[in-house]
Amino acid sequence: MLWIKNGIVIDPKNKIDGEKMDIFIKDGKIVDESEVNKDECRVIDANNKLVVAGGVEMHAHIAGSKINVGRTMRPEEMRIVRHTANKLRASIGRVLLTSPAIGYEYAKIGYTTAVEAASPPIGSPHTHEELDAIPIVDKAMLPVFGNWHFVFKYVAEKDREKLKAFIAWAIERTKGYGVKVVNPGGVEAWMYGGNVKNLEDEVPNWGVTPKEIITELVKSNEELDLPHSVHLHCNNLGNPGNYQTTIETMKLVSGLANEKRQTLHVTHVQFNAYAGSSWRDVASGAEEIAKVVNSMDNITIDMGQAIFGHATAMTGDAPFQFTLHKLTGSRWVNKDSEIEGGAGIVPIAYLPKNPVHALQWAIGLELGLLVDSDKVVLTTDYPNGGPFTEYPYVMAMLMSRKMREKELERVSPYVQKATSLPAIEVEKTLYDVIQMTRSLPARVMGMENKGHLGIGADADVAIYSINPDDVDPAAQYELINSEFRKPVYTIKGGEIVVKDGAVVAESWGRTFWVDARKKVSLDSIDEDLNSFFNSYYTIQRKNYGIQEEWLRNPVRVEVN
Amino acid sequence: MLILKPKFEFDVSVEAELTPELAEKSLEEIKNFKVWYGNAEKTLGELFDVEKEGDGKKLLLDGDFSKVKWVGTGMDDGEIVIKGNIGANCGAYMKGGRITIEGSADDWLGAEMKDGEIIVKGNAKNLIGCAYYGNPSGMQGGKILIEGNAGNYIGEKMTGGTIEIKGNAGDFIGTEMKGGEIIIHGNCGYAGGDMKAGTIKIGGEFDLLPTFRKSENGWTGDVLVGGEGRILKI
Repeated sequence: MLWIKNGIVIDPKNKIDGEKMDIFIKDGKIVDESEVNKDECRVIDANNKLVVAGGVEMHAHIAGSKINVGRTMRPEEMRIVRHTANKLRASIGRVLLTSPAIGYEYAKIGYTTAVEAASPPIGSPHTHEELDAIPIVDKAMLPVFGNWHFVFKYVAEKDREKLKAFIAWAIERTKGYGVKVVNPGGVEAWMYGGNVKNLEDEVPNWGVTPKEIITELVKSNEELDLPHSVHLHCNNLGNPGNYQTTIETMKLVSGLANEKRQTLHVTHVQFNAYAGSSWRDVASGAEEIAKVVNSMDNITIDMGQAIFGHATAMTGDAPFQFTLHKLTGSRWVNKDSEIEGGAGIVPIAYLPKNPVHALQWAIGLELGLLVDSDKVVLTTDYPNGGPFTEYPYVMAMLMSRKMREKELERVSPYVQKATSLPAIEVEKTLYDVIQMTRSLPARVMGMENKGHLGIGADADVAIYSINPDDVDPAAQYELINSEFRKPVYTIKGGEIVVKDGAVVAESWGRTFWVDARKKVSLDSIDEDLNSFFNSYYTIQRKNYGIQEEWLRNPVRVEVN
Repeated sequence: MLILKPKFEFDVSVEAELTPELAEKSLEEIKNFKVWYGNAEKTLGELFDVEKEGDGKKLLLDGDFSKVKWVGTGMDDGEIVIKGNIGANCGAYMKGGRITIEGSADDWLGAEMKDGEIIVKGNAKNLIGCAYYGNPSGMQGGKILIEGNAGNYIGEKMTGGTIEIKGNAGDFIGTEMKGGEIIIHGNCGYAGGDMKAGTIKIGGEFDLLPTFRKSENGWTGDVLVGGEGRILKI
């Protein structure tokens, strides 16, 4: 039992903004004062300290074949030793961290939940093995659907019942958490050397369009009432002028409502917010996107903030990765996952003086600043935009115009004319950034017990040496940037895992997966599954997927 | 000057990032300097006899150092003289100063060095002035002189500086070279694969890739990557 005494709590979900209060923890949950015996509690003195829920990472690439291939192709990443083995496991990596390092580094910035945002379904046994090797944080993973032949088939046949049955089957087989879509149709077109350019382009051989794929998946997802909405990586990613595709895509869900959450989450929007017609006249389309997002009540986004320094682009969007490889001349790996999609990996380093990189950095911040704080989640699309360990930097930047002005001095002057960042006066508050890193991502993912400190919530708590009553984040940005990097305590499931910025104990989190089989008739797709497996897959249907008992610590979330 | 002599014959490799600055420290600090002997952390004093003559920024390594790796790594000033052979990665990331090896050198000599000078009186093995796996650039400046022969993969991805080999060299000379100069007085195998810029001068026989075109007093390429590197006969 834990008694966190006299902390200053910010908990946006429960509308608590800087209230001095005590938090009680028992059996891994946050409980009422009456539930604990105070004499038996371990007391944590949080006087004058900020007490918030553990951070929720809702979009990062932390496990599975992509990051693993990335590690293989970047031996230079493995020369950075973060710490050698002692009580904990050794952890290495500069941007592409090893599995133990991922768990430790999240805990070290006060994060306690992380979602792997794209796993090729056939690779899910491997993805889960890697997730199981990540200590401390709770996990979930999203299988990719947008280029799966079954999806094309049912969309082409306009058979939503079968599409729903297929989604339920696939999520159960992969022990996934929701529906991820990457460049719908475009990755299939890439198998023939092409891509799709807009929402009306036809996918080769299938006669379906990205628009139909997105709409049908969103409607199926909503009818199934899965905890998370469709999680979409838009078409045309990384191309100048793509902000219009992004806006058109968002408008596809206008009219759909879900009172618990958004009906569409558009991810790493920074990479999808470019105006202009080529890399010569590229500019920011963030303002227009922000206007659309703010005007709709069923859309959420995350930033995909670019961080200066080393990163590694890795996405299920194989054609984009080829474009990036041609653009940068950097190494490239292309991956194909049978009839389910593909992926690519390209090393990249964001340089402040490079006009395009500076623009990407500025657009991420514009989105973070211009979109309402209950609609935009802080992410770097790790490791695409940069390491998640830099979240404190992004938090400080969002809160301080002074810091932004200082940073603008060292970046390419191109951002002055191509973005509105220098003119943006918005300074987010501590409440806002706590919302963007805790309560909002938990709500976006449909994780009710995450991201807040109300009774019944998971006992995931971060305590920082920041006094909300005393601090002026706009002026004291250095303090914000440094203190969010070293929580006084990170508590995961009631256990103290980090103290004074150092990991002190290794625990093992849970893996959430969603079971929606009760809502569909799996028999209706049985024949199709058998026929596709016999014809196109390299493995037998009975060997496909992963059993719950193979996971270290599974939690089944049933949809009724 | 600091004089080091191995106390015994090493069974496994020693990883010792010895730089001339060490000579300026107190004898006690020097003896307690941490090095790795295989997978065990040891002090310099446990493996070597340590002797000090004055405070000059100079190391004298006396004896067989062929199993001692990373000597002179990242050094930016001063001098190291090695009386015998030296192990791998000698002078890696070097930024200045001078290393003289009276015996022979192992692999990765002067890898990714930026400036300074390395002289080898004997032979050197593979990967001289190279980039470590995954890094974009090898040697960026400075000079490496080998009086004997050298192995394969000399100056891969180098962007500046000079590597001069008085004897023969192996295959894959100046692969992906982006600048600088490699001079081989003897024979060598294939040279200049995927080179973009820089110069390779060869005195003896060598193998030319078909992706080089004849130009004034030599060949230009590698056309496969639109390169403008030059291979010249001396």
